Amino acid sequence: METLLYLLRRALQALVVILIVTVVVFCLLHALPGGPARGILGPQATAQQIAAFNHEQGLDRSLPVQYVYYLRTLLHGDLGTSYTLNEGVSQLIGQRLPKTLVLTVLSALVGLLLAIPLGMWQAVRRNKPADYVITTLSFVAYSTPVYFLGLILVLVFTQTLHWFPSQAPQGDTLAQVFADPVALVLPVVTGAASMVAVFSRYMRAATLENLSEDYVRTARAGGSRQGAILFRHVFRNSLTPVIAMLGYYVPVLFGGALVVEQLFNYPGMGLLFWSAAQSSDYPVLLGCVLVISVATVVGTLLADVVQRVVDPRVKAGRT
Amino acid sequence: MSGAEKDAEAEAAAEVGTAAETAAERVLEVEGLGVTFGTDTGDVPAVCDIALHVQPGETLALVGESGSGKSTVALAALGLLPGNARVSGRITVGGTQVVGTGEAELARLRGRTASMVFQEPATALDPLTRVGAQIAEVIRNHRPLSRAEAAREAVELLRRVGIPEPERRASAFPFQLSGGQRQRVVIAMAIANSPDLLIADEPTTALDVTVQAEILDLLRGLAADYGTGVLLVTHNMGVVADFADRVAVMLRGEIVETGPVEQVLLRPSHEYTQRLLAAVPRLALSGEDAPEREGASVVELRDVSVRFGRGPSAVQALDGVTLDVRPGETVGLVGESGSGKSTAARVALGLIPPDAGTVSLFGTDLGRTRGRRRRALLSGVGVVFQDPVASLDARMSVAECVAEPLRMHRRGMSSADRRARVAEVLELVRLPKELAARGPRELSGGQRQRVSLARSLVLEPRLLVADEPTSALDVSVQRTVLEVIAELQRELGFACLFVSHDLAVVQEFAQRVVVMRAGRVEEQGPTMSTLLRPRSDYTRRLIAAVPVPDPVVQRRRRAQERTEATA
Repeated sequence: METLLYLLRRALQALVVILIVTVVVFCLLHALPGGPARGILGPQATAQQIAAFNHEQGLDRSLPVQYVYYLRTLLHGDLGTSYTLNEGVSQLIGQRLPKTLVLTVLSALVGLLLAIPLGMWQAVRRNKPADYVITTLSFVAYSTPVYFLGLILVLVFTQTLHWFPSQAPQGDTLAQVFADPVALVLPVVTGAASMVAVFSRYMRAATLENLSEDYVRTARAGGSRQGAILFRHVFRNSLTPVIAMLGYYVPVLFGGALVVEQLFNYPGMGLLFWSAAQSSDYPVLLGCVLVISVATVVGTLLADVVQRVVDPRVKAGRT
Repeated sequence: MSGAEKDAEAEAAAEVGTAAETAAERVLEVEGLGVTFGTDTGDVPAVCDIALHVQPGETLALVGESGSGKSTVALAALGLLPGNARVSGRITVGGTQVVGTGEAELARLRGRTASMVFQEPATALDPLTRVGAQIAEVIRNHRPLSRAEAAREAVELLRRVGIPEPERRASAFPFQLSGGQRQRVVIAMAIANSPDLLIADEPTTALDVTVQAEILDLLRGLAADYGTGVLLVTHNMGVVADFADRVAVMLRGEIVETGPVEQVLLRPSHEYTQRLLAAVPRLALSGEDAPEREGASVVELRDVSVRFGRGPSAVQALDGVTLDVRPGETVGLVGESGSGKSTAARVALGLIPPDAGTVSLFGTDLGRTRGRRRRALLSGVGVVFQDPVASLDARMSVAECVAEPLRMHRRGMSSADRRARVAEVLELVRLPKELAARGPRELSGGQRQRVSLARSLVLEPRLLVADEPTSALDVSVQRTVLEVIAELQRELGFACLFVSHDLAVVQEFAQRVVVMRAGRVEEQGPTMSTLLRPRSDYTRRLIAAVPVPDPVVQRRRRAQERTEATA
């Protein structure tokens, strides 16, 4: 019951945040040079044509009225129409979002599965050669631009070793994507690299902090071995701050997808966003922004819920 | 063989027997122990040439002030020192050599042959693991029990350390328990495998006196039941008198005096032990009330109530509290943690607005005063908090810390006058002039607290609010700080609201005392009659729980308590 109320409250809060995002997106739409009409009809359109268009689309009404109208179409799943592709933005995103989700979720999973043990291992071997080497590699991975890293991977694993293809799986359906898992390896690894770098740092710091906590000393005084202490106590305690960070990492993941999809020619939302940006296709751009914002809000919400499950103190409001 | 020869032989055999026995029986033996910590700025020797031993069933108290190295000895005994420690000498626990032994073998020792109870129950337990599971883990570290068996035994242990409803509490997380209960859980973990040696590092320092008495009772009972030897590390001479058979006094990393508890506490031979014992505030058993002060109250709380939070989780921090402080007097505000004494002090300082009731400062209703007049009114109150590290800005020099109130409230003052005033106040609190340019972090705890005092007195307040001003300090330092406050009070004539959990300190320094419990005033009156002939049961219990640093008196009080409890 308590949990249900909490979820309800958090969902309402998330809704408010999303509403604010829609306001921002709406304002951006209307701040376009010359307005949407100029964007759609092109620079050659006459003032009359623009006025007619504005009247037709209800763009000559007051902004609040237009916002309500915008919100209503949004609730019907209508994000407007692409200037260049002549297709509904919702349809465009609907086709491509699943593919991007596959890429980002896989990258995140691979990244975390590598980063968490790596960070813990580094903490245990703190200031030993292995720690320094991994720390250096993390900084290199983190400071290398994603596209550059991707190019190097392609050079090594495609051109030289011929292990993986240089193109991500093609095709519009998820079935087609999963039919060729080998082709997914390079894009996922490229997307996961910075995640490994960042989260192994978090995990290392959190583990180090927890290793110096009193409860570790208590466990040692009770005869627990280092391994048992790490896995029974330190691991879970270190995970909570990492989970909290995950929610905020969602937009970064989408940002990475933008480059990765372009690099490996993987027609997901990143590529859509990329081409829309190049052709000034504002409805598509803003639709993507809205979707990514919603994903971020949902991501933080999920992170909070998971944290509540992992740490009983959160539920009791003691942290 | 003649009878005399027989006797002599038997005697010799007995002697050899006892010698062999003592060597074998000692659960802890430390010889020539030295510990040095390697730091970035060089090696710091912590302890040097320590020799001590603990026999089964006996309690050795290791006493000393902060930095004396007593905790280092305790941690070294179980090989729990941090990685930068270099240990030399010999430590034998239950026949096993500890120094230089690998972690795997030490793990077999820890929690079975010897175990440890720590100072801070708030952080000593894993916050994310249920307490029953933490106890079961210690059991299963050493005995081949199934999960279910270990869990059952954990419940049994919780029952034995006096946790009510142990079946239910076993599945509680540490944050759901009180400080005293958490310490009981830590003790349950420590006795889970009936160790021969229990090392208790300040086991009651973080607890209220009544809880302290319960925990000490529990430890004493357990040690007696199992014949466990105890190494008790503490700075509290009352706890020593209450618990120890023998005492070793540490000063700057060395043991300066050791002997039976009566000898060390009643007839100390080393000059440091004498000084330490002289500084310990003691509850006086007789005395006269100070004459009542005349004059209008400098601060008066009338029917003050404060609630924190909203809804069902709200806490009634103060509930109809009425108290006042008259000119020139010291009123002691005592009570256990959570009794609301600090909240009451903060209300008097205008930091917390009361939900109901009135606060008047120097005859003016604080609730009806705003802006400039309120600030002027509050500038007549000085304040000293418990933690001198946290309450001074580390980025300011001592002189700047002390001058800050002048900058706020005496805007017109020239900088030369300000400097002169700061120098004057620093001299008042007996701080050398050279310290003025230093940062607070470069000072000792006692010096820092005197900086706080100088800062609070720089505006010549008519009221000083001191919230546990010496709780973080060692006894000898505590005494000098309290003496400075008392002396300045005589000289400058300010009134003082003195918040403390230490009844002995309050008895010595306050003319009147207000006893608080759960947000209410339990009783108040002149110090001596209130503390010597308390009217409320709560005050009586509070006083009975304070251990006096005299083993003979303490034993008598304990016996008396027991007969009262059974009667």
